[in-house]
Amino acid sequence: MTVDQSPAWAALNSHADELRHKHLKTLFAEDANRFDNFSVSAAHCLADFSKQRITATTLQRLIDLAEQQQLPQKIEALFGGEHVNPSENRPALHTALRQPKTAPLVLEGEDITKQIHASLERMEALVEQIHNGQWRGYDGSPIKHVVNIGVGGSDLGPLMACRALNLFTSPANRNIDIHFVSSMDGSQLAQLLNSLDPASTLFIVSSKSFSTIDTLANANTAREWLIDASELSLELISQHHFIGITANQAKASEWGIPEKNQLHFWEWTGGRYSMWSAIGMAIALHTGNDNFRKMLAGAHEMDSHFRHAPLTENLPVLLAMIGIWNINFLDIHAHAVLPYDGRLQHLPAYLEQLEMESNGKSVTLKGDKLNYATCPILWGEIGPNAQHAFYQLLHQGTESVMCDFIAPARRYQEYGDDLQAQHQLALANCLAQSRLLALGDSVLEDGDTAPSHKRYRGNQPSTTLIIDELTPESFGALIAMYEHKVYVQSVIWEINPFDQWGVELGKQVATSLLDQFSHPTAAKTDSSTAGLIRFVQQQQGVQS
Amino acid sequence: MKVKVHGANLTAWVAAACLARAGNDVCIENPEAQLDKPLQDISALRDEPGLLDQIELQMQQGRLKRNLTEDSETTIHWLALEHNEFALAERIVQHLAKQVAEKLLIINQCNFGVGATTQLQRHLNESAKQAVVYVPNNLQEGKALQGFSQPKRITIGSDNNWAITMTRSLIRPFLQNINQLLLMTSREAEFTKLAITGMLAIRIGYINEIANLADQMGVDIDIIREGMGTDPRIGSHYLSPGCGFGGQNFNLNISQFSDIFEKRGQNSLLKTVISENEIQKELLFKKLWQHYQGDLAGKTVAIWGASFKPGTASIDNAPSVKIIDALLAQGVNVRVHDPEALNNLQRYYAEEPLISFCTAPYAAIDEADALLLVTEWPEYWSPDYLQLLESMRRPLIIDGRNIFDKEALEMYGFTYIGIGR
Repeated sequence: MTVDQSPAWAALNSHADELRHKHLKTLFAEDANRFDNFSVSAAHCLADFSKQRITATTLQRLIDLAEQQQLPQKIEALFGGEHVNPSENRPALHTALRQPKTAPLVLEGEDITKQIHASLERMEALVEQIHNGQWRGYDGSPIKHVVNIGVGGSDLGPLMACRALNLFTSPANRNIDIHFVSSMDGSQLAQLLNSLDPASTLFIVSSKSFSTIDTLANANTAREWLIDASELSLELISQHHFIGITANQAKASEWGIPEKNQLHFWEWTGGRYSMWSAIGMAIALHTGNDNFRKMLAGAHEMDSHFRHAPLTENLPVLLAMIGIWNINFLDIHAHAVLPYDGRLQHLPAYLEQLEMESNGKSVTLKGDKLNYATCPILWGEIGPNAQHAFYQLLHQGTESVMCDFIAPARRYQEYGDDLQAQHQLALANCLAQSRLLALGDSVLEDGDTAPSHKRYRGNQPSTTLIIDELTPESFGALIAMYEHKVYVQSVIWEINPFDQWGVELGKQVATSLLDQFSHPTAAKTDSSTAGLIRFVQQQQGVQS
Repeated sequence: MKVKVHGANLTAWVAAACLARAGNDVCIENPEAQLDKPLQDISALRDEPGLLDQIELQMQQGRLKRNLTEDSETTIHWLALEHNEFALAERIVQHLAKQVAEKLLIINQCNFGVGATTQLQRHLNESAKQAVVYVPNNLQEGKALQGFSQPKRITIGSDNNWAITMTRSLIRPFLQNINQLLLMTSREAEFTKLAITGMLAIRIGYINEIANLADQMGVDIDIIREGMGTDPRIGSHYLSPGCGFGGQNFNLNISQFSDIFEKRGQNSLLKTVISENEIQKELLFKKLWQHYQGDLAGKTVAIWGASFKPGTASIDNAPSVKIIDALLAQGVNVRVHDPEALNNLQRYYAEEPLISFCTAPYAAIDEADALLLVTEWPEYWSPDYLQLLESMRRPLIIDGRNIFDKEALEMYGFTYIGIGR
């Protein structure tokens, strides 16, 4: 029996029949205390769910569903290191990455807390050496530029965090410029290399498997660039200009990274859950080791809340369950992430991977095909910019979309009035948009007299997340909250959020197609692919 | 005359010593932190050749006292405070303005920047002959006593005739060898002071840049330098390439000047010179690194000379410190000799196990994989090459001041690396 045939699911279905046609403006009219009744705070974050299309009954039935799915036990299983990723037969212990040193966690006889902290301390020592100007390039120059080469989880998390915590740098960190390169076509790298001095540039090659073709293609190009500039051997260049961060020590060594330049993490760290490990080295380089630790501490605070708070007050749980309500009972399949703080510009891309790679599944843990919706299409943009792009669709299009509005309460405290006024302007816009999306033109006294092309129907549900201010701690807590939200939804849907078999086949097919460009054989491709290859070859032939 | 000197740094002590030696009745008012220290524990005195002796002598003879209580009869005050003590200077001036109702002369020798003297003057009543005069501090560490008592030129920054006459009579004993006595406003004098220091820094920065280029192009900077120096428009002073300049006052003045540009949002040559100089300080390390292709851990490196220039024990902003830091970070055993600066160095690297402080130059080179000549003390100019060859594990000499004869060293069998040749 899948979850959609369960009693709790059926109860929600019939409840939805009652509520489906009720407009949010009616819900607000019926209950003057919606904010008090439907907002929850934990670990630097306040979530206001009152603009969701829910009542107290909805929440109660959602909690019933969570309990029916044994969520509390599943949360313990996650933290306790059980094999919550059965298709790869391993645990998912990103929570352990931010546990304090004093909390041992034994996995197959080994205290992994010890290993985690040993790896962190090695990373910190390297960071310090670089900050002190004592990591030297091939001619003895101190390193000034660090380029993080990675893709997916080895790129999105560190990139997002570096931008988000841009203000949290010390003078020592400011001497080091951090750059990110991910795209396999080399366009980011080629442009970047033009502006860098090879002798003072260090590359961090981040890859869990150390066989990601995108990353290795970029790393090879970078290494050739250094060898050309220095006229030194590959071995010397690898030694002075490359750090490898990986769970596959042998592969990294094979590529040429000496062991003293390697930082390791573990098979049980999912790529998209890995910025808390040595993969986050770029974050520590940019913001300092202290702030990296503070980010871990903030995430740990959210972990403790998630693990111990009752379901009814549990921020990630409520966020997840209301998502389930929207997706499975109100039939909403689009989710917009809208930060009203430019520093969170990479949060949407990060959450796209976190949510869609985790829960974009259609088979249960037992291997059965599902017949209910799972992860929606998720996208986003800095809110104020998106107001000039796709908000038109949110307000007047035909799609129902659920939105997360995210903003810090305090900002620019130590700057002038002008910038504080800009922040206030952004906040006013944030609140105006969620209000208008919920209530439509009923916010105006004579809204219903406007011509139809000027009407706002409203009833688009949203959650507003306000963090106290954007600090390493609150940022860590915010990201951990989304991680747990994803896990909770996977528990309800009975799917595995920690594998990603859907990205494997494409790599294989690409490898086999690569040959087709040099040795075209008519066999084994479809006519479209064959035709496209032919066209590309003609074009390349014309140019050469 | 009765003079009170306010300050605790080298400038203050040098002024006190020289003014007392010239027969004045001098009192030096130190801040409390320094008051309890015996004279020989004050680094400004210890590091400057001859200064401690002179201070002790003047005290014995009763012309110099430390921290006398208030004395309203003292009408001449000499300010030699730190560059960041402007608020203190203001408090002193305000206090004196009340204490000495008329005929108060304050000589300001502090590096407060352009316009500071005018600001201090605002606390005084000029019509009652209360005046601040700016006399730029041309102190050169290592030659400070001589610089004060036998200057070649003096600038008096003031437009108050009474104050100028008073100042001139106070410094009269020091004017025997004077070539030029310049009069200008205090603002102009303050600006000039910074402009001169900046110009010197730019010259050094430029010759260092050329030397690095000469290195890459295989020409000898010594010959280039000679060629440049014979052009009368250029001259040969401040044209020696080296591994970076240091010292407290020099660095302070040029960064102050560069800050003025920066505050006005203007790029300055000086800013580049300062940052390039910091890079230049690591040059010897980089040459060593390149020679051993980065394989430095466990090697032994001898360093000759650690003070920022010969004739002083000061290691403030000295290239040696950056070089030693870099070597230690690579796990190199460092053996350092300096005739004066060892104590300061020992204090700076108190907890560092990889460094040995050698009291004889040849003790430093024992089993060394390289010798780095950082400060050109006279005793290093003509070493016993055979002993070097015998003691060193590898005969590699990296000469940061180009004091050795390259051809001779190569003839002996050394590998020689200089700056720009």
